[in-house]
Order: sequence, then structure tokens, then C-alpha cells
Amino acid sequence: MAKITELPLNEDGIATVLGVLKQQFGDRFQTGQSIREQHGHTTTWLTNQSPDGVVFARSKDEVTAIVNICATHKVPVIPYGTGTSLEGHVNAPAGGISVDVSQMNQILEVFSDDLSCIVQPGVTREQLNTYLRDQGLFFPIDPGANASLGGMTATNASGTNAVRYGTMKDNVLAVEAVMANGETIRTAQRAKKSSAGYDLTRLMVGSEGTLGLITQITLRLQGIPEAISSARCTFPTVDAACQTVMQVIQYGIPVARIELLDAVQVKACNAYSKMDMPEEPLLLLEFHGSDASVLEQAEMFGAIAEEHGGAGYTSTTSTEERNKLWQARHDAYWATLQLRPGAVGISTDVCVPISRLADCVSAAQAKLKDEGFISPIVGHVGDGNFHCLLLIDDKNPDEMERAGQFVSWLNELAISMDGTCTGEHGIGQGKMPYLSKELGQATVDVMGAIKMALDPDGIMNPGKVVAV
Amino acid sequence: MMTPTTEAELAQMVADATGPITVQGGGTRGLPSDGLLLSTTGLSGIELYEPGALTVVVKAGTPVAEIETELAKENQRLAFEPVDFRGLIGSDGIPTIGGILATNNAGPRRLQVGAARDFALGVRYVDGMGQTVSNGGRVMKNVTGYDLVKLMAGSWGTLGVMSQLSLKVLPNPETEATLTLHGLAHTQAVAAMAEAMGSSFDVSGAAHADIDGTPLTAIRVEGFAKSVTYRITELTERLRHFGAEMSVAENSAALWSDLRHVKGFHGTDGDVWRVSVKPSDGPALIAAAGARGAQMDWAGGLVWLRMAPGTDLRARMGDIAGHATLIRGTGFARFHPEDCGNALLTTGLRHRFDPKGLFNPVLAAA
Ligand SMILES: Cc1cc2nc3c(=O)[nH]c(=O)nc-3n(C[C@H](O)[C@H](O)[C@H](O)COP(=O)(O)OP(=O)(O)OC[C@H]3O[C@@H](n4cnc5c(N)ncnc54)[C@H](O)[C@@H]3O)c2cc1C
Repeated sequence: MAKITELPLNEDGIATVLGVLKQQFGDRFQTGQSIREQHGHTTTWLTNQSPDGVVFARSKDEVTAIVNICATHKVPVIPYGTGTSLEGHVNAPAGGISVDVSQMNQILEVFSDDLSCIVQPGVTREQLNTYLRDQGLFFPIDPGANASLGGMTATNASGTNAVRYGTMKDNVLAVEAVMANGETIRTAQRAKKSSAGYDLTRLMVGSEGTLGLITQITLRLQGIPEAISSARCTFPTVDAACQTVMQVIQYGIPVARIELLDAVQVKACNAYSKMDMPEEPLLLLEFHGSDASVLEQAEMFGAIAEEHGGAGYTSTTSTEERNKLWQARHDAYWATLQLRPGAVGISTDVCVPISRLADCVSAAQAKLKDEGFISPIVGHVGDGNFHCLLLIDDKNPDEMERAGQFVSWLNELAISMDGTCTGEHGIGQGKMPYLSKELGQATVDVMGAIKMALDPDGIMNPGKVVAV
Repeated sequence: MMTPTTEAELAQMVADATGPITVQGGGTRGLPSDGLLLSTTGLSGIELYEPGALTVVVKAGTPVAEIETELAKENQRLAFEPVDFRGLIGSDGIPTIGGILATNNAGPRRLQVGAARDFALGVRYVDGMGQTVSNGGRVMKNVTGYDLVKLMAGSWGTLGVMSQLSLKVLPNPETEATLTLHGLAHTQAVAAMAEAMGSSFDVSGAAHADIDGTPLTAIRVEGFAKSVTYRITELTERLRHFGAEMSVAENSAALWSDLRHVKGFHGTDGDVWRVSVKPSDGPALIAAAGARGAQMDWAGGLVWLRMAPGTDLRARMGDIAGHATLIRGTGFARFHPEDCGNALLTTGLRHRFDPKGLFNPVLAAA
């Protein structure tokens, strides 16, 4: 069972800060219960721990002012993007102020020659891509939710095309952030870095709001490919699909996306998205490149798939068909929830070396079946990352308990295979217990030391990632 | 000199140390030293190579060449094309993989795939208290707290002594080809490279240098043979409007080896500076520098300059934002000064990793 963190409250400090913020921010500072709950944790099974107030910041200067006020009174600051994170990242175990940056949503500059842009943290990934489309550019990272780029940076998000374009860590060139002491840092200019200074950019990426609040992000962009084709192929077993993936990767076919859906997931997607794909393990693919190269990639993939018993292989360059297919994939979460109306979804997030993927997925499937859980599996298999989405009645303590045991079992299995308990969702509160299991206490202590160096009073998103 | 042969021995040596330690891999970068020399060359060897998982685990002192040879047997490679600085600096020694990661080394392909850092999946190191720390592993992605792997990359041995690394490797492409444009001025060359980079032809190298006295702009593509031919043809059409004479390089691999190791500056005199700027600032930097020689890589984002000895390049950069590193020569700080907020954080971090200030004090102060 995932535990939420319990921390003492600094009640006097909080009371003072509430007064000051009300005075300075007027209507943009809210303390109503529903808005506070909305800014505590909502998307998972973790208990909601609401902040004491929510402030809607509009500029870096305002963020600085808020951080300074909170720092003076040692009150927690919890950065908030769109609140789609899954491990209790935005909960407020020690109370404090949620800083909602959704109104900092300007795309500040696009440098099409240098293939980069600068955005404020509240810009969402869909907003950015709509804006870029006319210029023939796009930003590739696409987590299942329409998250904010600040939140995606803070969680090192990744999506369906990490196999070709990487994760946020590979695509954030620099950040501007207000740190716990109220100082602003800029981690790099648009020039690539070459000095002895440490890689503060990648320290901030994935820091889950525990080191500073990101106020600007410089992102690397991609040119929209000349041609895009998508494909799907059914396999007799999950193992055959995974073997295919491994060979595709080893051949160096530059697939942009390669996603696995197990039979249960295909069934859910068929029902939700009104499709009629065979209800067997399925690989969904996308190829990017020139006209000639996408054809060639599709052909080579087809040949490998056939060797592994792949059937019903179809590929298409039709935008409409492609969108339909990927929309169905993106809606997988919502489709799954329909399999057991009223249940909550609990997502696992293990990632293993690609060579162990087939073993890990097969073991998970067998265990799910033994335990009688309804849980489809979807995977970003090109990276070795997959999710089981367990559908659980959260009013039933026994079921909750058993789900918790399954999650622990799978995390430990992945760790024993040289893998990790989290490929993309992050630690937040929910995965803190696994961190030392996976990394060892010495490493967790180093992370604690980093936190102490940059945020000695522990005001930035306390009770997440590492306990100090 | 201390040459530990196990991680435990390394940890003991650091724990026992009372004064400065210079951490050295192959010693090919001609870096200043202070105190005891600690060589990682005794920690050598490939521990696990799994071509199917695209990962290799190596001890930090393993020669890069040894790793490249093993990978080549499976038709794989270190995709970030590490640069060998020996010819440029006139140094000896054998480059080690630990040194490559510590300096975040990267060659021409950086603009497509990233630097050493981007291929580092896991690291084990000994910190300034003599404790062994391990982070990351063999998975392609993880989000387990602060990224110590990336923090060690490019830290020039000032945070800890790496003992083991795990790296992502990539398959060799079937073939490569390079389109060359002859005689372009710097601004035109950068425009041509930007156009190639913005196309969907997946360019894996874009550089500009004087070869045998004439400026040459080189655009590389890699992949399956049919697609390479197609992309070269398309790029030729696309770039025709620059009016330059164009051809396909006779030996693409040899050309890129020269560009990668900056062969044009080998055996010359003068200081060598390596400057990273935003690509569109490359030509302005070259104009402002008054250099004896210049080469651009990363579509203009990396500029190699050969300057009269003792010229303060940073003073000439004016408003051009970038990082200038002195690679060959003396008289100036090796690294570009950090802005002061960042420098404070950097110092704060270093104190936590190495409270006694043992590691590479000269570089840490630079
Ligand atoms: C249906 C669904 C599908 C998902 N699919 C994926 C997926 O495919 N891949 C994936 O990686 N994730 C996925 N997620 C998880 C989630 O969408 C990502 O973690 C996302 O990056 C969170 O962004 P957000 O804007 O919602 O951040 P929030 O939830 O608001 O915040 C997340 C964390 O970042 C911090 N933070 C937010 N903004 C800032 C800022 N400006 N400065 C500093 N810290 C900040 C917060 O304090 C918090 O710790 C999915 C979630 C859902 C609900």
C-alpha cells in the first residue's frame, strides 16, 4: 500500500503567509476548500493532502515574491502545473502554498534556425504543438496527459516516441528557476555547455519541484518529418512481440514509436474508440523520415515481424487513420477505466533492460491472472518501460492491500532484473520507499545532501523524492 | 602515483587521503595537477556487454579504443563520437572512458544524438569521504530522484572518482555519405547547415572547415543505403540555391575523422579555443575573434579557433553569449566563468560531495 508522507505543520508561519499573500495577490490567492483539494492530489489512490492556499502566479517576479515570503516564514512552496502527476507529487503533507503557474502560459520565442524555443512553464504540450505547426516544427515529448511543460520538465516526462527523440532530459536545453533562497538561476544559454560547471539543467529536470520553481524552459524542437507512416501488427504472444521489438532496435531501424498493447488493452481500446482490432497482443508503430525511408522502415519491420509470427500487418501514410490509431493509444487510460466502472486505476511504471522485457511482462501477466486482477498492460517497449493499470475498488481494503502487494512485487522483480521501479512517473510520495531499495542508502543520502545544499530549510515541495 | 585496481582499494585510498588528489584517466588532456596523482588505469575492463540490450558496463579506466573494438565486433558503436585530443594538444597517454564522461566529450554527431552524458545510463563513483555511490543502471530511462549520472558527466573529476559506467550503445548504420559544398563564406555556410538541419533528412553531421586552403561545408547522412542515396540527392537539390560547387565526398569516414579530431590544427602553433555558441552566432564569433584559423561543427554551434598565443578571446566575444574553453595554451582560465548564482550552487554541491576539497583542486578553482 503506498504511503503518504506525514509531516508537522508550521501553523504560525502558515497563518502569517496566508495573510500576506491575500493582501498582495487579492483574487489570485484562493483558500476555498474545493480549489485547495483540486490542487492536492487527485489522479491516484493516494489520499488528498490539500495545501493551505493556492496562488496563481503570472510572472517570475511574482514567483520570486511568493518564494521569498514563504522562505521568510519557512512555509512549504508546492509548484503546480496541471496536476496530472501520479505519485502524490503535488500533495501538501506539511501544508503550505500551491503555486499554480497555469497563467504563465506564453510561448516567448521560437528560433526556427536553431530549432529551439523558450516557453513559460504553464504552456501545455498541445498548446506548443498547435503553435509550432505552421512553422513546420514540433516538440516530440507526449505523455498521456496534456501536461504543462513546467510539470513535464520537473518530472522528466516521456511519452510514446522516447525511443527516437528521448525524454525531457534530452530535450530541455536550459531552465530558469527561482530557487529556495529566492535567487534566480539560468542553467545555460542557448549555446551548448562546455565549462566545468555542473549540469544544473539536468539536475533541475526530474527534481519534482523539490529544488526550485521553474519559470522558463528552453526546449529543443524537431522539424516535422517529410513523411510519417503508422503501422500495426498482431502477435500470438507478448513474448513474440517483445522479441520483435528487440530485433528492430538491434537492426537500427529508427522507429519513432513502438508501443505494445496486450489483449486486454486492445479489447478496452476497441470498445472505447470503436475499433475492431484483433484482440491479441499488438504492436503499434510509427516511422518518421523521408518518403523513401518510411517505406523502407515499414518493409523491414514487416519482415522481422513475420519471422516472429506477426500477423495482420498493415501500414498506412493516411493522416486520418494514423490519428485514429494514436488517439486510441492515448485514450488507453480512459478506455481501461471503462472495463470496471467505478474502480480507480493504479498504474505501475517499471522499466527493465530491453533484453529482460519479455520475461518481465510475461511474469506480470501471469501474476495478474493468478491474483484475479483486471489489468491491461501497455508498454513503451522500445525503452523497456511498461504499465499495468490495475482496476481496484478503493472502498475495499482487502483489494487495496493486495494491489499494493502486487505493485511491490513487480517493482522488486524489475529491480532484480537490473531495472527500475519508475521509468517515467517519478518518485513523488508513492515511490519513496523503493528509492533506497533500488539505489542503496548511500545514494539516497547523496540526494539528501543535494537537497540540503540547495534548500536547507526544506521549503520546496517537502516530503517528496527524499526525506531529509 | 596511486593506481587502485579495485573499487574497494580506490575507496580506501580516498578515505585515507589528507591532501589534494589529481584524478587522472589517460592524461591526454594536458591538465594541470596538484598533490597526489590518482590514476584510474588500474580499473580497466569490460564487465558486461549485452548487444541485445544496447548496453555495455565498463570499468572507468578502460581504454576507449578497447571498447570501440569490442562494439565493432557486434556492429555497434559509441554514437557520440568521442574526440581524441592527443593530436591537437600534442599529448600522450591512452584516452579512457571515465575521462570521456568526466569531460562530457562529444564529436560531430552531438547535434543529432547528444554527448557522452546522453549515453551514460549508470555510474558508480567514490565521493570525497571515500563512500561508494551508485546511480542509474542499464535501463534506457528512469526517474529515480536527482540525476547523479548527469551530474558526474562533465564534472571534470571534481565531485568524485568514477569506478564504473554503464553506457547505451547504438547499432552501426549500414552506410554513410557526405555532401560537400565548396567555397562558402561563414554566414552562408551556417545558413546552408541550418537548412539541412531543419529538413527531414536526418543529418548526423554539419561542419565547415578549410581543407587544403578552400572552405568546405560538409553535411553527413547515415542509414540504410537506399535512403542515404535518396537523402543526398534531395539535399543536393535543396542546397543548390547557395550557388556553391557541390560534390559527394570520396571518403566520408576519413573526412569526418579529420573534422572530429580537428586535424587542421594538428602540428600548428598558437592557442586553441573551443567555443560553444548558438549556431547562428558562429560567423559573428569568428569575425570578432580575429583568429588564425577557424572550424565550425554542430551546424555552427561549436567553433574551434586557433589564435595568436596569449590573445584573450573572451574579451573579444563582446555580446556573443557562449562558453569559451581554452584547450591548448596558457595564461587564461581554462573554463568560461560561471554566472555568480550558478557558481554559488556549484560550490554548494561540491562541498557536499567532497567536503575536504580533495579532488582536482586546480580545476575546481578554474
Ligand atoms: C492519463 C495519464 C497519462 C499519463 N501518461 C504519462 C506518460 O506517458 N509519460 C509520463 O512521463 N507521464 C505520464 N503521466 C504523468 C504526468 O502526466 C506527468 O508526470 C506530467 O509531466 C506532469 O505534468 P503536470 O503539468 O501535470 O505537473 P504537476 O502534476 O502539476 O506537477 C508534477 C510535479 O512537478 C512539479 N512542478 C510542476 N510545475 C513545476 C514548475 N514550474 N517548476 C518546478 N516544479 C514544478 C510539481 O511540484 C510536482 O512535483 C500521465 C498521467 C495521466 C493522468
